Amino acid sequence: MRYITCLLFAISCATAGAADEYELQYPLGLKPMRLPKDNELTEAKIELGKQLYFDPRLSRDDTISCASCHDPKKGWSNGDHFATGVRGQRGGRSAPTVINSGYSYFQFWDGRAIMLEGQALGPIQNPIEMDLTLEECVEKLNAIGGYRKQFQQVFGTDVTSAGIAKAIASFERTVLSGNAPHDKFKAGDESALSEAAQRGSKLFFGKANCSACHAGPNFSDAAFHNVGVGMDKDEPDVGRHSETKLLGDRGAFKTPTLREIARTAPYMHDGSLKTLKDVVEYYSKGGHSNPQLDEELFPLKLTAEQKADLVTFLKEGLSSADYPDIEPPALPK
Amino acid sequence: MRTSILSIIALLTFALAPAWADHHVSTVVDGLDNPAGVAIQPETGHLFVSDSGASRVIRVVDGKAQDVITGFPVDVYGKGPMYNIGPLGLLFLDKNTLVVGGGGLKDGEELLRVYKVPAAGEPAIGADKMAASFNLAENDDVKGEGNFYALAAIGNNVFVTCNGDDTKGWVARATIKDGTLTNYERFLATKEATEVDAPVAAAISPRGELVIGQMGEITVPGDGLLTFYNAHNGKMLLNLATGLSDITALAYSPKGQLYATDFMWTDTKEGGLFQLISKEEDGKQSIEAKRIETLDKPTAIAFGLDGSLYITVIGTGEGDAKGGKLLKIEPGL
Repeated sequence: MRYITCLLFAISCATAGAADEYELQYPLGLKPMRLPKDNELTEAKIELGKQLYFDPRLSRDDTISCASCHDPKKGWSNGDHFATGVRGQRGGRSAPTVINSGYSYFQFWDGRAIMLEGQALGPIQNPIEMDLTLEECVEKLNAIGGYRKQFQQVFGTDVTSAGIAKAIASFERTVLSGNAPHDKFKAGDESALSEAAQRGSKLFFGKANCSACHAGPNFSDAAFHNVGVGMDKDEPDVGRHSETKLLGDRGAFKTPTLREIARTAPYMHDGSLKTLKDVVEYYSKGGHSNPQLDEELFPLKLTAEQKADLVTFLKEGLSSADYPDIEPPALPK
Repeated sequence: MRTSILSIIALLTFALAPAWADHHVSTVVDGLDNPAGVAIQPETGHLFVSDSGASRVIRVVDGKAQDVITGFPVDVYGKGPMYNIGPLGLLFLDKNTLVVGGGGLKDGEELLRVYKVPAAGEPAIGADKMAASFNLAENDDVKGEGNFYALAAIGNNVFVTCNGDDTKGWVARATIKDGTLTNYERFLATKEATEVDAPVAAAISPRGELVIGQMGEITVPGDGLLTFYNAHNGKMLLNLATGLSDITALAYSPKGQLYATDFMWTDTKEGGLFQLISKEEDGKQSIEAKRIETLDKPTAIAFGLDGSLYITVIGTGEGDAKGGKLLKIEPGL
């Protein structure tokens, strides 16, 4: 009898979960994402994550939300050289876009967090970003009835830091960009790219060597490379090296996606290049020489027309008409 | 119908049973300097090893190394850790004819060399005394190739994995004619096919397919692929994630079971020898990589005439001592 009760309980739980299950819809050009087994996607969890993502109450002075630095209106970045946190404090690196970030195993420019669940709590605790301890954050959110109720529905608990991370990560996994002119062209629509963009595409995947790192459906190998940016400084940002301590990782940063790149200026980990023209010019020269400069960086000897074609491909080919322009939700009280 | 046929092909080319569990690993020879290739001489069964950092190919007889070819160019691979590399992949066309893939020259200048090897006990020959040599130079459309890591042959074709153009990931092909090679050319753009970097390992399946181990990014764990191609026309038949990080070698045992080595750049303590077992997951074919032995930076494997498995490892030396070894696992795999 006890066995039957357990069995019924198990069946009812499974049924409840399946009813809310959320199936990600992948735009043309993207592939199925690797999802963590302990954080299945559900409608309610994604909605909860969206509220948390846009809620400035996750910061000490109620001024900074995830969206402050990763703003849908600014390419899910912030349009600035660096991230700006509470009390106007400035970080030392640019805010990477959230678009397609669910495809990346390593998170942050230096890969110090694993998957989105590992990343989500970092900025909350960073004193120059949102400046809360996890205990303070959980206490603040537990004082908001709307959050407590949703956490009970989604996780069966009051607000927890693990739940916050899972909910935000679930929402971020839905921020996808594909179905760009490049994808349509690749799928056979020859009118999807202009002639200049087609020439730029050929350069991108060939002579300009961009696809050595900006590879695959997300235009990123999700790996770390030293492209020389900032390495001409006396005390450069060592990037990935701070995590691995491997000499070869000195000055290496994660390859960012190039999808929606036209919206995410300024560029590079330090926001030091204002335009895509500047970026192409930088790579054409082969990057700042340094002992750990990636072997894929070398002078490209591109003509002015080739540089212009590359920029056209980046702007035209990788900007989707289905850009994920998500509006902030009503926040719980 | 197509899926069904591919599944059959794959099932037949994978081992279905786990490997023999009780195996013994012994050291055949040590003190090697970044060994990176191993081959068995037909008829004699002698072991030949690319003692890569020492710029030589050696013959191992009764546990002792004898120089066979010396004076290969040596280059540095990696930005830290750094490895000296010279000769890499080895393949016998017949008892006296050895093909050596080079790794010590610049991309485009690198050579695939064919030697008539001196008999045991005869003096070594210089690396420049090859019977024939070939390169894959750059042209207006493609970069030059280098680091000819692994070699595999079927019929009149020799396949060579290359690490020059990271936008394409070429496997090159040469034709065996009159006891030597001819028509060395780029054959398969594996990165275009798989959207993942760097073909490194190569083997021929019992059914005659070309099997490539795609290394993936060395800074990203778990992205290694196993890909089957039609050896005649280069058509990709099957592409599977392995969960391995940096596949450096593949070999089929006399029983037809497939083995791979994983260098595991991000954590070399976790490198090793794995059996790749076919299984079905969610109705799709997948791979289980079953660890057979933990190894210190494995680079190449080959089965001997008696079914012994020989493995080269870079190892970890102390002081000036070199940590490279040739290891042996007794017949039974």
